[in-house]
Amino acid sequence: MENTETYRALFYQAMRIRLVEEKIIDLYPSDLIQSPVHLSIGQEAVAVGVCSNLSIDDWLFINYRGHGFYLAKGGPLPEFFAELMGKQKGQSKGKAGSMHMASPKQGVMGASAVVGSTISHAIGAALISKIKGEDKIFVTNFGDGALEQGVLHESLNFASLKQVPVLFLCEDNNLAVHSPKSERQAFSLESLVGSYDIPYFEIEEGYDFLEVKNRSQAAIKIVREQRTPVFLKINTARYKEHVGPGEDFFADYRKESEIDAWKLLDPLITDVELYNEFLGEINAEIEEAVQFGLDSPLPTIEDLLSDV
Amino acid sequence: MSKTYKAALAEAMQEAMDTNPNAIILGQGVTDYKGIFDTMIGFVDKYPDRIIETPLAEDSVAGICIGAALNGGYPINTHIRADFGLLIFNQLINLAAKYKYMFGGLFEVPSMYRMVIGRSWGQGAQHSQSLQSLMAHIPGLVVIMPADPKSILESYRYAVQEHKGPVVMLEHRLLYELSYEEDATELSHPLFGSKLEREGTDLTIIATSVMVLEAKRAADHLAEIGVSVEIINLHSISHPDKEMILKSVEKTGKMLIADTSWAAYGVAAEMNRIVNEYNPSILKAPTHSMGMVNTPCPTAKVLEDMYYPDVHDIVDVCAGMVIGKNHAMALPKKESMTDFYKHFKGPF
Repeated sequence: MENTETYRALFYQAMRIRLVEEKIIDLYPSDLIQSPVHLSIGQEAVAVGVCSNLSIDDWLFINYRGHGFYLAKGGPLPEFFAELMGKQKGQSKGKAGSMHMASPKQGVMGASAVVGSTISHAIGAALISKIKGEDKIFVTNFGDGALEQGVLHESLNFASLKQVPVLFLCEDNNLAVHSPKSERQAFSLESLVGSYDIPYFEIEEGYDFLEVKNRSQAAIKIVREQRTPVFLKINTARYKEHVGPGEDFFADYRKESEIDAWKLLDPLITDVELYNEFLGEINAEIEEAVQFGLDSPLPTIEDLLSDV
Repeated sequence: MSKTYKAALAEAMQEAMDTNPNAIILGQGVTDYKGIFDTMIGFVDKYPDRIIETPLAEDSVAGICIGAALNGGYPINTHIRADFGLLIFNQLINLAAKYKYMFGGLFEVPSMYRMVIGRSWGQGAQHSQSLQSLMAHIPGLVVIMPADPKSILESYRYAVQEHKGPVVMLEHRLLYELSYEEDATELSHPLFGSKLEREGTDLTIIATSVMVLEAKRAADHLAEIGVSVEIINLHSISHPDKEMILKSVEKTGKMLIADTSWAAYGVAAEMNRIVNEYNPSILKAPTHSMGMVNTPCPTAKVLEDMYYPDVHDIVDVCAGMVIGKNHAMALPKKESMTDFYKHFKGPF
């Protein structure tokens, strides 16, 4: 890959997400983070590439595997670590935790731990946006597990009927917890999306943030300029277990060799030179953010009872 | 001046659309010629962009409401049968009810879900249910059962203009056509309160929705035989006026709960919890819980009339609680409530 400014900037963002999650892995045995974590290691290029085409005003709806998108959209890092540690200075006062990352100032409009349940939120927000005459767009991010949910089909239908500016963004890591798509899906996604008369884009090279940026730009351009829905599927690879800080290749529900093949293409692994160049700066930012979390007070009984 | 229940609903919807330029009403049938039982006739012509006929896809529509609310809209989602509201429970319970709390106050989801209890005439097991207890159980939801036009206007106005969270309005189909004379009774709060409908000294009836009317009919009859009944219209199922309840039961020492749903784990159980956790010694007699027979709702009219308690049962129970089980008082005749309230001829 070329060593352009864009490449360097995207590399930096992707590497920052990976190092943040590796820090979570380091911290996990200490019990500073006492809630489930669904790591996006291996999938960072999707978040970074797509979000590089979004403005801070565009809205993004995510899910429980949301660290990467939260950070790529500009969610603050110190509050992120405070949130993971269940501290009062977390962006949601510790009441959300890893599965519910949000930062409305940067347009991260909530994350749900129920698969597929924020897809329709993007459509509702876009409907009001039309009434108000706004020009922002709405992106809803979900995994391939959500493709089987009835609400995806309902949402495609509604979005097409009402012609709303929504990007349906599917991160396809081929796994719903431990079961592959082949055991779950009897339909062709492209045909399904096409049957709702919604343009369908697919990016195979989900490890390549430049490719993701450039090709998602075309999809996003349609949403932004024509104010109509578009579906974008990006293939990717989840390096870690479904939930938790470890690997689970021993369980044999997938082949380690498949993940190894992705790793051979992963710039964060292959471009050692740039990795080493950025390492010190990113780690310094992470250490500072972790310290912010450590220093934050614990939530109180008032926090327990507020915001119902 | 008199006003029907459905006219108040139409007025409340009209006011919501006029006072909030980002209010939308969406649901199945909101643009059709029946206009959600006459409560939205002509709306789509007046607000073509904000009255949204939806596909039969309740799950996504409820999520669309949340997204709309996050972007400053005020969505009103209609369900012509409360039973269909079960299809929005993921969004309502897992998301809408929790979004403010779960994100530490970052988000608010002001929104209204109008669900019509379909009980009327042979509606059977899936078109007639009163599901207030299921929803009132959930922190973050406000569940209201308005029993008269004034309560509708006050609580809907407060929900649209003041409240910043999801509100479920359980409307009762049996009440839609009824005309009410204005009276002086007041809700203690439009969303977080109840209404003292009638003062009395011998026994407190805590009633919901159509059972408020049955309780009033029963109270008139009981007065003739010398029994003085106090009636609390619970109105807010999720946030009833506990002070009003306790004060009344402390005065009368006797409590009958007349709810539109099943007694177990429901409104009746909650009223007993409130009283017992305060001070069980204020009760001078065992309480009585009156609700539907503990079965699904049958369709056959003869069974349906046995399934629902009515004025006859309320008078019988109250006389028993005040005078004694062998009271031998004359009871109002057992009469089908649907005949009394609606002169119903179908289809619905």
